[in-house]
Amino acid sequence: MSITTTGNLGPMILQSLAPAMLYVPTPTMNYILVTDKVSMPANGGTTCRFMRPRALVPPTIQLGNSGIDPPAQVPQRDIIDAQMAFFGTGCIINEQVILQDQEGVLAWVSERLAVAMRQAEDLILRDYIVSAASQINAGGGANGDNPTNLAVSDFSLVATTLDTNNAYKFMSGIEGMDRFGTGPVRSAYFMLSSTELQTDFDGLTGSGFLSQWNYPTNATALPAEYGSVFNIRILCSSEAPVARGVSANGNDVYYNTVVGKQAITHINQDGYSMNLIYRDPYYSGMLAQNATIAVKFAQAQAITQDTAIRNLLATRLSSVPGP
Amino acid sequence: MTEYSKMAKGRFTSTGQAQVVNLPFIPDYVEFINYTASATPANHGIPRAFWDANMGQGIAVVDLFNATPVLITDDVTSYGISTFAAGQLLQFGAAQAVTTVTKADPAVVTSTSAHGLKSGDVVIFSNLIQTATTGMQQIAGIPFTVTVTGATTFTIPWNTNQSNFTAYDTATATQDATFVKVLYPYLYEPGQSIISNIVTGATTAIGTTDAHNFVVGQEVAIRVPTIWGTHQLNSLPNTTIPGSPIYAYVISVPDYHTFVINVDSTGYTAFNSNQTFAGYIGRSFAQAVAVGDVNTGGVQISSGSQLYPPPYIVPIGTTRVNTINGPAIQGAFFNNTSQGFIIGAGTAVGDATSVLVGAADDVIYWRAFLHDIQGP
Repeated sequence: MSITTTGNLGPMILQSLAPAMLYVPTPTMNYILVTDKVSMPANGGTTCRFMRPRALVPPTIQLGNSGIDPPAQVPQRDIIDAQMAFFGTGCIINEQVILQDQEGVLAWVSERLAVAMRQAEDLILRDYIVSAASQINAGGGANGDNPTNLAVSDFSLVATTLDTNNAYKFMSGIEGMDRFGTGPVRSAYFMLSSTELQTDFDGLTGSGFLSQWNYPTNATALPAEYGSVFNIRILCSSEAPVARGVSANGNDVYYNTVVGKQAITHINQDGYSMNLIYRDPYYSGMLAQNATIAVKFAQAQAITQDTAIRNLLATRLSSVPGP
Repeated sequence: MTEYSKMAKGRFTSTGQAQVVNLPFIPDYVEFINYTASATPANHGIPRAFWDANMGQGIAVVDLFNATPVLITDDVTSYGISTFAAGQLLQFGAAQAVTTVTKADPAVVTSTSAHGLKSGDVVIFSNLIQTATTGMQQIAGIPFTVTVTGATTFTIPWNTNQSNFTAYDTATATQDATFVKVLYPYLYEPGQSIISNIVTGATTAIGTTDAHNFVVGQEVAIRVPTIWGTHQLNSLPNTTIPGSPIYAYVISVPDYHTFVINVDSTGYTAFNSNQTFAGYIGRSFAQAVAVGDVNTGGVQISSGSQLYPPPYIVPIGTTRVNTINGPAIQGAFFNNTSQGFIIGAGTAVGDATSVLVGAADDVIYWRAFLHDIQGP
């Protein structure tokens, strides 16, 4: 008796597409989270201009009985400008690809373009902050470098700096609950940090670091939130800025952006942020062969309260994360 | 030529230094004609050059006048034509070894091999440790704009001729010092700068370690940790108006790393750049940061000035380099990210006196392409 097997009667078509696409590793985008949002109107020029009144001198000197008015004060203001810039990217896709592919190429290319655009927004903000915000070098760590690794005293110092500058905190605190292993969380600024420092944060457990998992409730924790130290809640991303090999001792320098409310503003113009543009092959050449799909956006950014933002520079105590 | 290829052309007058050309694309082919060198044939002149991406970065094939002068062909194998996409910060060149750093004002750095820098480039040092307790580690980690004085030498704007500094010499040092080039230091302008010196008086002159890129009318904040001296310039605390930051305006810009602010600092504590070696660990630097603008409202700051001049950066000296952006309000923050190609100042392999980008005042016409179709 002869048995028919796949050896002599295999499937005519060997492959079928899995029902779901594999995920694309995508860094968390934290910088956009801490910005104030402002929209410039259409026909509003090239530049968004912010005005901040200056405080007036409090009249602490008594008038006396002379009947003479004190000198008038002249109100002053600070002006901050942010110039709009335009960005975009796209793909040209031949109609034969669209005709013949099995996996819906236009759909996933659209998704990728949208993610690329959002990442661009975040990277622009990130690099702008690296360029424009003032820096404090961590000095509390024990690794003998400049800057040192992060110690809890560095968190305290930078939060105190922002408090002294009368910055606004983002988050109100979380009251303690009668749940084993948890502790209350203070009202806090955000620190935008690198995932490569998470080992160092873990090393501070017991001396000030509270893991997000040890919050009384996770209801207000953000997805990228790793934990908190005193008045700072830490958001981690693999794309946080790192200057490789440029510390005093030649180690990597991490830019930990500690930020209060209204410190950074992200500006769009007339809702121009995010245009997904699909053009049918009909619009290309005489044979209408190629479709285009693209994204473009306009944005400007400004540090609108320089007193409410600091880059806390630090090196690492722990080993380099594995590849 | 297919539908989506990109082409561009233009001209510039050479400075004798590497020329950056911003484009809306990264070319895969560049060619140029040096009109001046072509019109006046002379030994060492390079009237034409060509580059294809497949050659590799920093290469170029050139026509070259020999001593007769007759055209011959040659190639440039370093600092030729290359492309760039300056869209993200914190990118650095390879670490280069330092041979010596002198105790002088300005400090003179000698690299172990040809550094390949040009004046205006920015570098950061590490491990300037002569012995366990001496050296120049006080300035490690600071970005410095360099002034090139030779193939292996350059100066940095810091006075190391002070008591707490010891000259670095790798022959006797306990650590091997290095520096890296900051590839794109000025993508977002104006930014923050490290302060190297402060001259107090009726107005206050501030020196920075790299190009501050401030303009007259710029509003700035000063942050000086107490250990550096002139902390009275700090924007806070304000002893008159609680919590209100005190800002300064830039009233003149003598050069790329000096600006003068409208603050009477007479009697303020002197700035101390003579920091101790032992205290370098965890020391924050004094900084100047941009805050905003003088409220020009389109009013000329000085007679004859443009109402809305294009934004520019000042990499070194007083030479302004316009960016890819259009007109802007003076002093506004702007985004200077860009891409394009660089014609370097490399020399032909067979003629070390030739210069790819030509001599100062040479007129160069260039063309750049990005092709849709590339054959095998």
